[in-house]
Amino acid sequence: MTQCLLWVCLLLQPQSTAPALPPEAITLLQSGIQAENLHDLDGAIDAFRKAADLAPSSDIVFFRLGDAYMKKGDYASAIPPLKHAAELNPTALPVHQLLGIALLATGYAAEAIPHLDMVHEYGALGIAQLQTGQPAEAVANLQTALSKRPDDPDLLFYLSRAGSSLASQSLDKLFSTSPDSPRGHQAKGQTYFAMKMYPEAAKEYQQALALRPDLPGLRLELGQVYAANSDWPTAEEQFHLEAKEQPGNAEAAYRLGEALLQQGKMKEAAEELRRSDILRPDMPETLYSLGKALTSSDPNAAEHAFARVIELEKETPLAAQAYLALAGVHRKLGKPQQAAHDMQEFRRIQALTSPPSPTAQ
Amino acid sequence: MPGALKAKAGLLSLLCTFAVLAQETKTNSDAVFRVSFMTGVDFVLRNSPTSRKYLIETMPGGVALLDYNNDGLMDVFVVNGGLVRDPMLSPYSFDRHDPAYWNRLYRQNKDGTFTDVTEQAGLANAGDTNYGMGVAVGDYDNDGYPDIYVTNYGKNILYHNNGDGTFTDVTEKAGVAAGGWSVSAGFFDYDNDGKLDLFVTRYLDWSVEKNKTCGSERPTYCPPGEFPPVSNILYHNRGDGTFEDVSVPSGIAAHKGHGLGVAFADYDGDGYTDIFVTNDVTNQFLFHNNGNGTFTEIALDSGAALTDDGKMLSGMGVAFQDYDNDGLPDLIVTQLPHQPYVVFHNDGNGAFSPQDMESGIAALSGKSGGWGVGFEDFDNDGWKDVFIMQAHVFDNVETYDTSLRYRDTPLLALNHKGHFVRANSGSDVPVAGRGAAFGDINNDGWMDVVTTSLGDRPRLFLNRGGKLHWLTITLRGKRSNRDGFGARVQVNGQVRFATAAGSYLSSNDKRLHFGLGSAQTADIDIKWPSGIHQVLKAVKADQFILIEESVQP
Repeated sequence: MTQCLLWVCLLLQPQSTAPALPPEAITLLQSGIQAENLHDLDGAIDAFRKAADLAPSSDIVFFRLGDAYMKKGDYASAIPPLKHAAELNPTALPVHQLLGIALLATGYAAEAIPHLDMVHEYGALGIAQLQTGQPAEAVANLQTALSKRPDDPDLLFYLSRAGSSLASQSLDKLFSTSPDSPRGHQAKGQTYFAMKMYPEAAKEYQQALALRPDLPGLRLELGQVYAANSDWPTAEEQFHLEAKEQPGNAEAAYRLGEALLQQGKMKEAAEELRRSDILRPDMPETLYSLGKALTSSDPNAAEHAFARVIELEKETPLAAQAYLALAGVHRKLGKPQQAAHDMQEFRRIQALTSPPSPTAQ
Repeated sequence: MPGALKAKAGLLSLLCTFAVLAQETKTNSDAVFRVSFMTGVDFVLRNSPTSRKYLIETMPGGVALLDYNNDGLMDVFVVNGGLVRDPMLSPYSFDRHDPAYWNRLYRQNKDGTFTDVTEQAGLANAGDTNYGMGVAVGDYDNDGYPDIYVTNYGKNILYHNNGDGTFTDVTEKAGVAAGGWSVSAGFFDYDNDGKLDLFVTRYLDWSVEKNKTCGSERPTYCPPGEFPPVSNILYHNRGDGTFEDVSVPSGIAAHKGHGLGVAFADYDGDGYTDIFVTNDVTNQFLFHNNGNGTFTEIALDSGAALTDDGKMLSGMGVAFQDYDNDGLPDLIVTQLPHQPYVVFHNDGNGAFSPQDMESGIAALSGKSGGWGVGFEDFDNDGWKDVFIMQAHVFDNVETYDTSLRYRDTPLLALNHKGHFVRANSGSDVPVAGRGAAFGDINNDGWMDVVTTSLGDRPRLFLNRGGKLHWLTITLRGKRSNRDGFGARVQVNGQVRFATAAGSYLSSNDKRLHFGLGSAQTADIDIKWPSGIHQVLKAVKADQFILIEESVQP
């Protein structure tokens, strides 16, 4: 992104307020620009430096010198002439833009911020804010930058880091200010869950529930803790309570359906999964589980559900799974040719999506 | 009754005098088993765990139930691991000459106690370069005495039963030493020539030099994917005391995996025994017997290779019997925690479908890793139940995942018309469970289990019995192999495939046990591997019967 910003910057011209340049300085400035055009950056730098010696009050000369260093990738050397140019002409936005980027590139993020802020260089500003521990501001500015360049990989990368950092900072604050609040226990539960410490996670969620039994989502998360620990009956209880509290929550219905499915309660599972599919249609995971729930009792309906997953997912691992399941359904339905085709597709997509085995022969 | 039938009703009345119980671990009134060590069985499965986490350490060891001296009492053979030094230094020795690391044969006495007959039977010292794994039992020379095949990391050993209480190591002559890392094995007759052939699973390409540890802060055993896969071995019995390695011409060697368990059954009813191999994080193998000496691996296309979500199984133990009484053999494969045990239901027409959720097995698993496994009717209600030895692979698993545990109790689930429901096994002592052999050790008509655990003595799960009826059949092949392995035996609608193989590393009582529920008689329908079809009507319940193959002149 730095490169990109540099190119943008080079299109701009500083608003100089300096007195007229001596003729020797003008000659050197022109020869520097000519050298630059010929990609002779060292020659350009030499000419700009000599011009700067002859015209120490010219912000243009110092700007061109800094700019040449930037083009050479020597950000550290660019900073002094750019700083001097900014002192000579504090309102020259291109100078601040280049200086902010040079400072950021050399690790002086805090110093870069006012310059980047002045020129509304949101992407670089967000990165600088992330590096100075201001994730909330970073998220806002990176999102603004992304609105103009939605696919910029650097911006996407830094936004994800800023988001994580913001979450972490918020959690730290939550733990320090309200550790025994329902949300505090919930957050601790989430942390234990991520660490696969399921008994500890369950305990935290239970404490949160004791304090705020009405908090939406708590039972859903607690159920997921039990599910991860293969305690399906207890998971079912929690998902059931969540689904009762939030009958419009498609995820609660899906999770409940999954818990029922794992326990072999196929009919009840199919009911919940159908309900989830109505609440939030065309969720591939829901349709896949629905297909599994229906495979024995209604293979035609299962066939339809798996086919829909394939339609939605195309060539993802879930599509491969759906083909495998569909092959089973077709075998049951006495359609061996279709089953063979499904297996062919399963193998094809699996080959596309599976990482190679370290010992594959 | 036909002349071929020789009934041995009320063969033994040991129930009251059976005296193996010692150090009982639990006596819950609703428990199906009384769990104990066996009097006279002082064997300890020494796997020798080290800080180097040599992969072999966590994999043994097998157990066999056999009547080696034909006195009508089940004897117990157990396979030991060996000494693993920390670190192992070349030249490598597992010190199997040391009695602490011997395999052991225990003869059952009439009072239910056991006597160690290892040395006098000629089974001591399994070779210093062999680290013990599993055991297969079969009468490969049809002389009426069961022979023993021991698998090792190293060279496998075939012990011929001399019929006088001793065994002779005939490995070299027989040509069945294999090599590499063998795991489970089983005798079966793949070409129906009346002579038992031998199948050996092999795990992976490992050696002390190639060993790796995984995990940085908490080193542990590496997953199988870190090591190259290997092929399994099929030996054809020539009938002259020698075997021919037919792995390549039969098509078996064309498929490499991380083989652990093996079980046999004729899943498609074509009269030829098929082979199922559990693989650890590789597709499972179902070798369809083409009937011409070759096999085709068809697990993926038949629906028995992967979980229903298309994921590879950490396949370990296996049972291949009909759990839902539809006459077709089904599969159960045990695997690691957070991966429910998989039930592959035989749908007919050569197709299987995962039914772990519908059968209730998924809900009973997931927290534990499973090893030895059997589909047996423990409550004699006419439906085969399931028993699984459980434990994790990693002895330090709790240090990095508090939701898991290394030692565990077995899973017993009773079959309610095709749906499994957890039951009280009688054991609440967590162990590092591995092998499990199923059989009626006290001849009371109720199936028992003998289990192995790492660093521990074998345990006997002695069935507490009940009031329902049963029938136990010993097959005597004439044209077929003498033990009738591969026969399809149907009793009052239930089907069993005659085999001693299955579980993990272990060999089961070769007799076929049927729970009859309230029925006091049984109709028996046998399809012998020779193709002979034999029917017996209204056979009295609650007896051990010997059925000889009816060979018409």
